[in-house]
Amino acid sequence: MATESRDVTEATETERELTMSRAMVEAIAWEMRNDEDVFLMGEDVADYGGIFSSTTGLLDEFGRDRVMDVPISETAYLGAAVGAAQAGMRPIAELMFVDFFGVAMDQIYNNMAKNTYMSGGSFSVPMVLTTAVGGTYNDAGQHSQTLYGTFAHLPGMKVVVPSTAYDAKGLMHSAIRDDDPVVYMFHKRLMGLGWMPSPSGPKTAVPKEDYTIPFGEADIKRPGDDVTVVTLGLHVHRALDAASRLEDDGIDAEVVDLRTLVPLDTDTILDSVRKTGKLLVVDEDYQSFGVTGEIIARAAEGALDDLSAVKRLAIPDVPIPYARPLEDEVIPGTEGIAETIRELHE
Amino acid sequence: MVSVNELRTMYEQMVTARYYEEQLQEEYLVGKQPAFDISAGPIPGELHLAAGHEASGAGVCLHLRDDDTVTAPHRPHHVAIAKGVDLKKMTAEIFGRKTGLCRGKGGHMHLFDPDVNFACSGIIAQGCPPAVGAAMAAKKRNTDSVAVAFLGDGAIDQGGFLESLNLASVHDLPVVFVIEDNDWAISMPKDRVTDVEDGSRRAWGFDLPGERVDSDDAVAVAEAAGKAIARARDGNGPTLLEVQVHRRMGHFMGDAEAYRPEADIERAKQLDSIERIADDLRSHGVEDDELDEIRERAHERVDDAISWAKEQPEPSPEEAYENVFTNPPATAATDGGNEGGD
Amino acid sequence: MAETVDVDSATVWPEDADDVTEAYLANWFVREGSAVDQGETLCEMQVEKVSIDVTAPVSGTVTEIVVGEGVDFDRGDVLARIRPSA
Repeated sequence: MATESRDVTEATETERELTMSRAMVEAIAWEMRNDEDVFLMGEDVADYGGIFSSTTGLLDEFGRDRVMDVPISETAYLGAAVGAAQAGMRPIAELMFVDFFGVAMDQIYNNMAKNTYMSGGSFSVPMVLTTAVGGTYNDAGQHSQTLYGTFAHLPGMKVVVPSTAYDAKGLMHSAIRDDDPVVYMFHKRLMGLGWMPSPSGPKTAVPKEDYTIPFGEADIKRPGDDVTVVTLGLHVHRALDAASRLEDDGIDAEVVDLRTLVPLDTDTILDSVRKTGKLLVVDEDYQSFGVTGEIIARAAEGALDDLSAVKRLAIPDVPIPYARPLEDEVIPGTEGIAETIRELHE
Repeated sequence: MVSVNELRTMYEQMVTARYYEEQLQEEYLVGKQPAFDISAGPIPGELHLAAGHEASGAGVCLHLRDDDTVTAPHRPHHVAIAKGVDLKKMTAEIFGRKTGLCRGKGGHMHLFDPDVNFACSGIIAQGCPPAVGAAMAAKKRNTDSVAVAFLGDGAIDQGGFLESLNLASVHDLPVVFVIEDNDWAISMPKDRVTDVEDGSRRAWGFDLPGERVDSDDAVAVAEAAGKAIARARDGNGPTLLEVQVHRRMGHFMGDAEAYRPEADIERAKQLDSIERIADDLRSHGVEDDELDEIRERAHERVDDAISWAKEQPEPSPEEAYENVFTNPPATAATDGGNEGGD
Repeated sequence: MAETVDVDSATVWPEDADDVTEAYLANWFVREGSAVDQGETLCEMQVEKVSIDVTAPVSGTVTEIVVGEGVDFDRGDVLARIRPSA
């Protein structure tokens, strides 16, 4: 590893660190302080501070007028966010679990995502739809999905999936300032909740000042020469764990964190694949017609000659089951990722 | 009029349900103390306990037969018990075991028992439309079965509920909607999310009868539900009921209820529907000895169900690929072989 | 050499958890060697499922983290030590 990377690590070692939830809240609070058009709506976002601590403390600072608990009426309040955005405000609307999108999908994909296009660009919808995603805590099929592919599939929404506190803050600033609808999907397991312990990676040093991370820039979380692992969300950390386990075996995996699905940073994927020739895509969404297929298609379109082997790991097209052995079977684990990287390397 | 035998039935179901939740509360905390880790222990995931809701389940289900359909929300245990769902298999499901009602695929918010036509939805208000569908099937087949959808007060602002009222009303379907009003939608008090204090008034806009039972008095619930279910069974269409209940154990386990005034928590604990029905039984001349006997029988049944459930095998990983379809195509699920999560 | 100041868990114990003696350290936001300002959040502890932010009693440098992340501790345990800045 290059000397300067080590220096960076040392330099950040004594800096303040934040959990992903606190980093998100810090960005939202900064934007609310600096732009009166930003307000927040959602179920249990006021006194509770968000079921996954995505809004902790905001009620105290900004009051009920700007941090609004809303009825369990997702069609109404997500649609209202669209309308308020079209009227020039910058609402942030939280969908408690992404799984609940079903009751409000029309507002999401027919209004929020399409009004810009269908108005010929005369309307814009500068809103952020924040939502909790993911499993690994045995909450079964209606509360454990990520649905990354569903949202990324439908045109008109930018789709953001942070994996660290640093990224979460910068991406949140970008999301709120963006003039288009942004779906900001935060993984419950990465939030740093006392009651749902995170892996060690997502808590990072976070600058106190505001900063943006541009959409469409994947981040190479671990450089490597042998195999490219493209992933997002929780599985960035599982892939990093898998990669470090393989170090002793002399396998050097590169881990690419997509960070945004729309726009997708195809160049970084292609550059990595051209270097390694081997691609593994890991996703916590359903396998068929989803993120893994899309990434592999882009790699094939752009770097077919460089590719010698391709594999994917995703939820094997079953709803997410409740019982621990069943859920563990369907969600890609560190061991499975390591093994697949090893197979690709052989 | 509720007979003394019916009072006994309800009392037994209510003490069963209360003791069941108390025991689950303990089992749930195994492996989760002092650090509360939602994914640890023998019962992982969310757990929404229904202590304080018992009168609603018992009073309504008193009038139901096995061929009547019930849909319940994410807080279903008391309703399932009153509907006659197999307690052992239900408990095994909550413990994520192979012999559970849903073979470990559903968990506590998603209990399904075809023997007594019981189903759940973990999404707010989304059990209402399927209940309307069960009523539709009963009407088309000229049976006298009815359907009952249970929902919380937080669900009455949801489209799935309101649309169901309208569909049931315009087709005069044999369905009863039961709102369990525990005053809270997780952390949101009712007056923050709706201006209508009495949820049964939602019925007015759809031209169907609405009635509110202002306390969790099992007898009052049984009387109101008796009328509504008879009305449905006789082909006279749907009814909306609201029952005041109390949330005694937080929204879910792990909910510290920091948002809830201490006095409200205390009040919910004081108002005990089980004490009330015990008094009703005593006023009918039922001796304390008999009440003790009923309670002991109920406790034994719960203890048996829990120890049976804990002895059951866990499902094997490959079972994850079964049951996606009733008629699975040759290549239904992708065999991921994901070697265990960590 | 200046004396260090203890970050004492008892001083931040919630009033309504008087009967509870155990807690859990959910997150540290600083490391040994970090410079902190008085009032800055050092860590998050969890008592009876309630999260409590523990702030720095003085400005200075964190010299020792006594209770690590993910560790259970008892009321009154010292969580960290800070050497006050001059």
